[in-house]
Order: sequence, then structure tokens, then C-alpha cells
Amino acid sequence: MSSFTEFGALVKNRHRPKDKPTDTKVALGFLAPWLIGAFFLSLIPMLYSLAISFTKYNMIKPPRFVGLMNYRHMLADPRFLSSLQVTLTYVVVSVPLQLVAALALAVVLDRGMRGLSFYRSAFYLPSMLGGSVAVAVLWKMVFGSDGLFNAFLGFFGVDTSMSWIANPDTANWTLVALHVWQFGSPMVIFLAGLRQIPRELYEAASVDGAGKWRQFRSITLPMLSPIIFFNLVMSVINSFQTFTQAYVVSGGTGGPSDSTLFYTLYLYQQGFASLRMGYASALAWIMVLIVAALTGINFALSKFWVHYDD
Amino acid sequence: MFNRMWRRYLAAVMAAVALCVSAACGSSVGASDVPVVPSDGDVTIRLDWWGGDSRVETTEKAVAAFEKLHPNIHVDMEYSDWTGYWDKLAVQSAGGNAPDVMQMDELYLAFYGSMGSLLDLNKASKYLDLDGMDSSLRSMGVVEGRQVAAPATTAQYGVIVNNAVLRELGLTLPDTDHWTWSEFADFAGQVTEKSGGRIIGSLAPNNGYALQLWARQHGDRLFDGNRIVIPPETLASFLKLPADWAVDGVEGSRERWSENSAAALNDSDFGKGRQAMMITQATMITPYAQAAGTDDMSIVPLPQIDPGSRTMYLKPGMYWSVSSQSQHPAEAAMLVDYLINDGGAGAILGTERGIPANDGIRRALAKDATGTDRKALAFIDKIRPTLGDAPSITPNGASELDKTIIRYQQDVVFGKRSAIDAAHAMIAELQESIDFAS
Repeated sequence: MSSFTEFGALVKNRHRPKDKPTDTKVALGFLAPWLIGAFFLSLIPMLYSLAISFTKYNMIKPPRFVGLMNYRHMLADPRFLSSLQVTLTYVVVSVPLQLVAALALAVVLDRGMRGLSFYRSAFYLPSMLGGSVAVAVLWKMVFGSDGLFNAFLGFFGVDTSMSWIANPDTANWTLVALHVWQFGSPMVIFLAGLRQIPRELYEAASVDGAGKWRQFRSITLPMLSPIIFFNLVMSVINSFQTFTQAYVVSGGTGGPSDSTLFYTLYLYQQGFASLRMGYASALAWIMVLIVAALTGINFALSKFWVHYDD
Repeated sequence: MFNRMWRRYLAAVMAAVALCVSAACGSSVGASDVPVVPSDGDVTIRLDWWGGDSRVETTEKAVAAFEKLHPNIHVDMEYSDWTGYWDKLAVQSAGGNAPDVMQMDELYLAFYGSMGSLLDLNKASKYLDLDGMDSSLRSMGVVEGRQVAAPATTAQYGVIVNNAVLRELGLTLPDTDHWTWSEFADFAGQVTEKSGGRIIGSLAPNNGYALQLWARQHGDRLFDGNRIVIPPETLASFLKLPADWAVDGVEGSRERWSENSAAALNDSDFGKGRQAMMITQATMITPYAQAAGTDDMSIVPLPQIDPGSRTMYLKPGMYWSVSSQSQHPAEAAMLVDYLINDGGAGAILGTERGIPANDGIRRALAKDATGTDRKALAFIDKIRPTLGDAPSITPNGASELDKTIIRYQQDVVFGKRSAIDAAHAMIAELQESIDFAS
């Protein structure tokens, strides 16, 4: 979105003498591919979806204006509420777990060990695969009744033929595990952040007799807080929009018993299976508002715990 | 910042905008009013279906033979999996770009038929003969008084039995010509018990067809036009079946039922030879026999509450429909006629789409068929005494019936709500959806 601001600044400053007029034109030329994409592939469809969220539209008959009906329908729709609950549970549980795992591994890797770059790549790998259909299919097998996970439990004498995917009490937790497993990309960002912390601080602290844990709490965490904040905001936004994993693992149904009915999956079902495009668009806009609100809350809370150097 | 899904959603809406603009949104709906006469020159028509590899192979072969018979007609073929097919068809229909000939399902027929997207095949009766099939079957292609689809195949429900498994366990099937649900459940429970849970007896049925038959056995109906008329008590007993059978030992455990209800054929217990009986369509016998690696399977009638009563019916397995916007409706009708009535095409297509609706073709196939195919083709003769009148087709707005049933059954199986509460909620949800769509 920052490109929007840059573009705004560019247009606003076009009469400033410091830029030669040709610069602006050249810049606009270079920006053109992005601008065209943003305009035709993002902005217009978004506005169109806002418009059809006030209509009844099944993609074949022309849209018919129905006012706020779609938004009112949500209040009486138990599946909307349960999808919201499933998604929020997923976000609230998986985001902190993933960040803790990423941070812990980043701290370990930051100590500098042999083969560091190998470990870094190895831990990053799941992040590159995680959103893919292949891994979701794999997950289905790992947590199935004949799966690897039950074989693993078998080693410890727990003999079970429980299907973790097919039970509504555990299905969502397998997806949480899948999310946590993709700690690679926040880990890489944490690693970069850890490198930025001046070593003198640790030296001074150890001279003062601070132990490792104390150093971590009083130096690493505060110094790293802007990075943690960045990762937190991005993770919340991304995990709220999780779709592929739930779609593949549940075969598109959000089952069993709606336990993996993520918000985006419900939106997709309403739009493309039930052909209630108007309602699906309304759901999409409510999701925009929810994500914006969560991000707003994150920013509001950040002043209590995020420390900036300057 | 936007993930893939969001982008895909936007792209679809964008496509809809673009299509609406180019087709002057709204005017794309309705018939093209092209007269149903063959053209003199070369013609290209599009054919679209859902299905797996073997369907692609046989259909391509049949179409090649059709093109040989009609050198001026060229057929472009498209195909996808089930879910992708309906997503694509909705967007294509929105853009006035639907294929000329499309494979259709009973769940979606009322939607496309009532939207005016499908040609009334009676207008093309000169090129398409629908008299080769049972009239009750033919009537299930009628929506709002128009013959918008030609049944291509029928699907009869029965119980497929893996005899190899029963022999291994030393069990003999009871008299299946007149058996009741309790006899069925008793026997299935014995299988699970005797094998120590390694092999399960059966799984409770979980789709709209089975529910329809269940309602008929109770003397009820599922739909009457646009109304859901099944009594909540009857629906509740159906929704409770998987829960009861999980306790009785028929299904092993509730997770096993739940896992199987989402599994592909090859991953299911019956497909792996770990289940004795499967309540499903007769033609599934061949793919299941192949998956389980045995040819010792047979098909027996569905248990009934009142054995011998006329509760079965001929359900179209698949249909062929012609788009109302087709520029070449006569040629499209000729292709449909070829696919359902031509003996050569019948031999190529076999039973891959189900039992041929055209009874002459079915009998010809049955004569030459061997093994499990022969059993599937002969099954209809076995259940003919129990065939009754055709029911109302699934109304517009209830296309998600199968998924809805599984969802409520899962709620009951896992104790989220009682069967009768689930039945009331399911009727309310479906009725709301139907009312919204009409």
C-alpha cells in the first residue's frame, strides 16, 4: 500500500521545481505496470464488490439492489458466526505460537554455529511450501487414521487409530500445527533484527552480572520489539485470510461439523457454490473491516510495548 | 498483502465485470432465438463435462466417431473435476459463454433450467430422440414445463458386497431379496465384531439420493416443488443413522465414518478391501472392485422398512443439456442424440457415466458385458418390481444438499446437537436457501 502514498506524493509534488518535469513522466512510466494492475485488478473489482454487496446476485441474472439485506442476513446466519469463531481461534492460538517458535529458533541460530546457512534454509523451507496444495494433502495423510502422527504416537506406546482430521474437536488444531510449522519467514526476519542489536549492550550487561535470561528480557526483547510488532501485524493479517489449507484438508467443506470452516472458505462457498455473490461480497467487506480493526488494535497497543531507538 | 484466495476472488469478480460490460450485463440472459436448423457450412460446437481420466478417454473416442459421421461438425472438448466444473460453468453462463453441450447433474438442473440458460429440447425433437427411455426418467429432465435436459444414464442405489471379505471371515449374507434395515445392521455388526474392527460392516449413507429413498421408505417425500416436505422426525432418523451405527459397531467408530465420508474412492475403507458392504450406486461396483483388487463383488437390493414396496425410482445419473445461447442448437442436439442413442457410442462409452438411459443400449451392453459390469447392468431388472413414480427434482437453491446432509450428520455423530434439533435446523436452512434463490 505504500506505493499508493508514493504515487500520491509524486502527483502532489509535480510542480515543485526540484523535480525536473521529465522525471515525473519517467517515474509514471516506470510505475505504469503497477498502476494498471492496482487500478484494474484491485481497485475496480474492490469497488465493484462493494457495489454488489448491496445486491442479490447469482452471476447469471443481473444484480438486483436489496439495500442492507446481505449485511442483516449475517446477524441471523449461524454459520457466519461459527466461521468467525473458528478463524479467530485459529488466529489467536497460531500467531503467538508461531512467533514464539520463530523467535526461539532465531535466537539459537544467532549464536553462530557451523552450518548456519544450512539450518536457516532448512527451517525456512516449510514456509515456502506451507501454503501449497501439496503440503495440505500431505497434512491430511499425516493426521489421518493410518497417518504418520499415529505411527509416531505408537513409538510411545499410544496405540490409536484416531483420525485427527476427521474429528471436529481436533481438526482445527492440525491446521494450527501446520501454521506454526511455517515459522521460517518470521524467523528470517527475526534473525536479521537480532544482527542489528549492538553487541556492546550484551557485553555491558554481562559485566554488570546479568545472566542470559535477563539479557534476553532486558536487551533482546525491547530492541527487537519493532520487528516483533511487524511480524505480529503481518501474521494476524495473513492468518485471518488462510484458505488453501482448510480447503484441501476438508475437501472444500470446512468440515467435519464446520470445525475448519474458515471465514474465507465460507465466503468462497457462499459465492461460488451457493451462488450468493452479493452475500459473499458483503462477507468480504466485513472481513476487510475486521482485519482493519485488528490491525488498528495492534497499532494502538504497540505504544505500550514497542520501543523505537530514535 | 492480499493472499492468493483474495486475489482469485477479485479476479473472478473482475472477470464478471468485464464480461458484464462486454455482454451488456443482463442482455446475456435468455435464449439466443437461433432457429433449430442445421447450417450448411462448417460448424464448431463446444462440449464440456466433469470426470476422471477414463471418462476423458471414452468421450474423446465417441466424439471422434461422431465427427466422422458429420464431417462438417467439429467438437471442441473441455473437462474439469466436479467442483471446478460448476465454478467454471457459473462464470461462463454469466458471460454468455456457456458450452453448447454440457453434462448436467440433478442437483444443479433446477438452477440452470429456471435461469433460462438451457434449451428446451422439445424444440430440437427433429434431431434428438428421447423416446428410447422410460417416461418417468425422461420427466426428471423437465423444469418449469420445459425439457431442459436429456437423461444420459440412470443410477440405482443398492448394496455392493465384497464377497471375498465375507468368505475370509466365514460369514454368509442373509436373504437380501427382502431384507430390512435391522437385518442389514445386525449382519454388518457381525462383520466388525468378527474381524476385531479390522474390517467394518458398512457405512451410513450420507447424500441426497439416499435421503430421498429413506423418505420414500417412510411413506414421505423430500421435496414438493419448492417446498421441503419431509417430516422432521423422518429426517432426524436419517441424520442419526451414522451415530447409531457407530455405536452398534457397524462402522467401527464415528471418526472412521467421518473420515470415509470425505475420502476419495481409493482411500476409502471399501476401496481398500476393509469394509464388507457399501450402500451406493450400482455402477460403482467396477471401480470399487478394481480399487479393492478383487472381482468377487456383487450387488444386492437396498434394505427396506417394508420389503418389496415400491420405494425405488429411476434417478438420472447424469444428463446432457444444450445451452439456450448456443449458435448451433441443431448440431448440439445431434451430438446429444448420438451420445445417448447411438449403438456405437453406447459401446464406446459403456457404463462409465452410469447405466445407459436408453434401454435398448443397456440391453445390448448387458449381453456382451462380463464380470462386475454385467452385474451392474442387470441390477435394474432385479429392482424393477420395486420401482415407483419419479419424485420432484432438487429445487433451485438446494444444490448444496449433499454437503449439508454430511454437515448435520457430523453434528449429530459428534454430539453437537440432537438429531431432532439438527433436522429442524437443516429444514430451516435449506428452505431459506430455496426461498432466497427463487
